[in-house]
Order: sequence, then C-alpha cells, then structure tokens
Amino acid sequence: MRNFEDDPTLDDLLSDDQRQRLNRALSALCREPVALTANRQENAEPVEFNLETVGWLSGGESAAERRAASELVSFLLLFVAKYRLAANLHHDTTEASYAELQRQNEALKASEARFRELSDQLQQRVDEQVEVIRQNQQDLYESSRLRSVGHLAAGVAHEINNPIGFISSNLRVARDYLEDLRDIVPDTEQNRELLADFNDLIGESADGARRIAGIVADLKTFSSIDQSGYTLCDLNELITSAIHLLQTEYHHQLQVLEQLGDIPRISGNPGRLAQSLYNLLDNAAQALRDAQKGSDQGHILVRTVRRDNQVDVLIQDNGCGISEANLGLIFDAFYTTRPVGSGTGLGLTVARDTARAHGGTLQIDSREGQGTRVTLTFTAP
Amino acid sequence: MAEYTPEDNKLALKVVFYGPALSGKTTNLMQLHSLLNPERKGELMVLETRDDRTLFFDMLPIGLKSESGLDLRLKLYTVPGQVQHDSTRKAVLSRADGVVFVADSQPSQQDNNANAFGNLEENLEKVGLDIDTLPLVVQFNKRDIPGVVDEAELQDRWSATPWSPLVMASALRGSGVIATFRLLLDRLYTEVDAEFELAARHGIDRNRFITRLSASDEVDLA
Repeated sequence: MRNFEDDPTLDDLLSDDQRQRLNRALSALCREPVALTANRQENAEPVEFNLETVGWLSGGESAAERRAASELVSFLLLFVAKYRLAANLHHDTTEASYAELQRQNEALKASEARFRELSDQLQQRVDEQVEVIRQNQQDLYESSRLRSVGHLAAGVAHEINNPIGFISSNLRVARDYLEDLRDIVPDTEQNRELLADFNDLIGESADGARRIAGIVADLKTFSSIDQSGYTLCDLNELITSAIHLLQTEYHHQLQVLEQLGDIPRISGNPGRLAQSLYNLLDNAAQALRDAQKGSDQGHILVRTVRRDNQVDVLIQDNGCGISEANLGLIFDAFYTTRPVGSGTGLGLTVARDTARAHGGTLQIDSREGQGTRVTLTFTAP
Repeated sequence: MAEYTPEDNKLALKVVFYGPALSGKTTNLMQLHSLLNPERKGELMVLETRDDRTLFFDMLPIGLKSESGLDLRLKLYTVPGQVQHDSTRKAVLSRADGVVFVADSQPSQQDNNANAFGNLEENLEKVGLDIDTLPLVVQFNKRDIPGVVDEAELQDRWSATPWSPLVMASALRGSGVIATFRLLLDRLYTEVDAEFELAARHGIDRNRFITRLSASDEVDLA
C-alpha cells in the first residue's frame, strides 16, 4: 500500500486528459509545441517537484523556452500535489479512524456481552438467595409452630396419662368383677347375654384406652424433639427390631425385604430413631393395606447403604402412593388421610423432625397408585 | 523509518515537528526554509490552514548528494497541534526517524506542553516507535515573550531526561531554530550511521552530515 507521503509520480498528479490539455495550453504559449512526458526524451528539461524529477519537458524552440515551460509546470504541480497529499492523508486517517472505530465497536460488543452475562449470573444468584431466605423463613415458621404444638401436646399428654392410667386399671378390675358376677348371678338366657355384652363393652373400652395411651405416647415422642441423650446407634439393629414389632402388629403377613449394608454407627437418640423408623414402616404397611395388596404382591423394601460420608436409609413400598395434592401436606402435624382413630397425623412429622434433629434429611418420592419411597440421609461420623 | 531504495541509491529520512497547538511548529519550518541553504532545498508546502492553524501538515524537503552518489533526502513535517487532529498527527508521525518537540515557554502553557508530550509518547507507541531510542530534541520556543518560564528552571526540570539539554528558541525571530535542527541532525546521524554506514560506505561523516544539511548564509542568533 502506498503511503500518503510517498513521492507522487506524474500519473498520480495528472490524468492523461489533464496532461494533454496542459500540453496544448503550453504549446499555445510557446513558439514551438512542447510536451510533458513521464519518461526522459531527447533534449528534454526535467520537471521537478519536491526535489524529485517527476517528468520531462521536450520540444519548444529553445532550451530557454523549455526551462520556462518546465518552471511553469513545476509551479502548477505544487498545487496539484498539495491537494493530492491532503486528500491522501485524509483518506489514510479516515481509514485508520474507521478501523479504530470498528475495533472499539468490537471491544464494546464484547464488553457488553460480558456485562450481560454477568447481569444474568447476578439475577440467578439473587434468585437463589431469595429462595434460601424464603426456605429459612418457612423453616423458622414451621419450627416455631411445631414448638407451640409440641408444648400443647406435652401438656395434653400429661393430663390424659393419669385418667387413662386409672381407666385402664379400673377396666381390668371390672373384668375380674365380671368373672365374679358370672358365678353369682342366676344362669339364665337373659343374664348370659347381658354378661357377654358387658364383657364386650369392657373389652372395647380397654382397647380404646390402649389406643389413647398409644396416641399419648406418640404425642410425648413428638413433643420431646429437643431433648438430648445421644449415644452411638446401630441403625440396622433399630430397623430389625422395628420390623419385628411391625410384623407382630400385622400378624407376620408382611413381606419385608431387608437389604442392610455395612454402615457405621451414628450418634443419636435410639428411642426416637426407633419410633421414627417404626412410623415409616407402619406407613408403608398401611399403604399396602390401602392398596389391598396381599403378601404375594405387596412388599416393603428396606435398604441401608453408605455413600461417601453419608448413610442412607431407604424404605420403599409398592402400595397406594400419595396423590400430588396431598404431597404438600404430609409433613403438617396432625394431617392424616386415614379414618379417625387409626392415626394421629404425627408419624411423618416426628420422623422428619427426628431426622433434622440428627443433622439428616428426610425425602419422600411418591406416585399415586405406584408406591412411595422414603429416603433418610444421615451424616456418617 | 528510514527508507533506502537501492536502484536510485536514495535514502529518505523523515523528521516531524511535534508539540502543543500554537507553539510555533510551522514558524520553525518557515524559518528553516528561509534560513537554510543546504545543497538541495524544495518548496515549503503549507498544506492547508484555517485562521493560520495547521489543518493537515507542512512539509519541507531538503537533501544532499554524496560523492558516492547517495541521494539523501530529509523531509521535515509539522503536525497539527490541536487536540482534535490526533489521527492526522498519528498518520504524520508514523515512520518518523526523528522528532523535534516544540514547547511553549509561557507559564500558562506548561500543562499543554505536558499533555502534548504525553500524546507524543502515546502516539509513538501506537505507530510502533520507541521514545527512548528515537532521536528527539526538545525546544522551548517563544523566548521573546516577556514573563516566560526561566531557562534555568526548565533545564533543571528536564535534566534527568535523555532529552537534556533543551534548546531555547524564538522561532518568530529566527533564533535557536537552526541550533535545534543541528542538535536533531547530530542525534539522527548516530542512528542512521549505525544502520546505513553513512561514513564507511558513503563518505558522509557526522560533521558533513550536519553542515551540509544545515548550511546557512545567516548567523544563527541563538
């Protein structure tokens, strides 16, 4: 590429037309025709511009005439060259400025893209933080609500325990008295019916009192979340005994698959852990019953496994599952889908709060009609 | 950059007069045009001005022919000093072999001097030249105006730089202009001789280089 400051040639300064016109005008002034050419001719006078010989002037009547004509051409070329130089410089600087502008534009675009990305990341981070804050608020609200419910439950349990105690005891004595009565009253048809009915009434009442005592026990467990008394617990052992209890409750009709892995002991309250595991297993058993699946189809899978520095406890059933609408409510205290009297609605709440109190989590995955999987995760010591 | 064309045995050098607006760059060149009488001297081209302010550049070609036939050309350029003509300054500055920085001696102009010198440094870097190795002379012009900054103070201020001593000048009166030019030629010769062996191959030693390019009929008033 030529630079604006490169010495111009005759062709740069004058076009063919312009040179012919100049030749005609000069020839009209001179006695003999003259010609300006780029190449050296015989008897030619150099035409200088900026110390450069840019052309040759030939013809004319004499050397003096050629010199005069050459001088005139040099003078004219000075102005032509001035314009050419200014135009070339202008062209060069415009191109350089344009290139610079384009470079700046590219840089600006890149920086804008970077800022947009940054802004997106910022928005994402803000959203995440908002979600964390929202979750913390929710937890705080729930835990304070649970604490107040817990206090209430502890009070109610304490108040109920005594009357239930003497009701149960009195009913046992009443049944003994009934046996005595059987020997005393005359053995008539009417009396036999009366006594049998009396016996049933006392039995049902005793059964009811036992259930009330069970509910009270649940309430006490639920309300003692903040109590300490931690030892090293073998989860596998706790699970095995919970399964035994469950099988007794369900007359050994449950098909429970145990896949208990080699897991470390965790620090915890064995009573509450056992209670929680029992609650979860009981839920699974009831889900099978609700799905009306017999021992040949319905089964419960219990698995423990160590994963890095975590211990997972998995309790899975192929029972009725939980509907999507109910999934959001299952952790609410006293929420239950079961008929009145068959559940307190505290089982999952107790299990989840127990997991949290042990630094773990409880996760539920369920699909209605397919089954439910509960995953307890504890941190290995 | 000095450009040598072997077929013509021609060496072209470029010197740029740089400096803040209205410091007297064009006046320097006009004075050189009228004071110098080198072997060869072209026309002073004052390209375009508005209110006597340079818009593009001025250019004065001078030259000499050595006995060995070397055709040595020196083109002297000025740049427009006004801030907005930076792209023109950069274009003119590119491929320079030497720079004369014309500063204004008036106290009110010292900030402008500093800014223009900073701009020179910046633009040299942009066109790929190194201010530490480029032949450079700093001239403080307008010494004829009363109340200018004291010479001792200026010399002291610049004493730690490679461009000390400064040259004091009054371009309007023609004093110090040739002294500035000769100092530049002296510094320029060192670089050009190192690259093109002016003395060894062309018989042009430092003294000849300076005297023949800056020959003057008049006595420098400096």
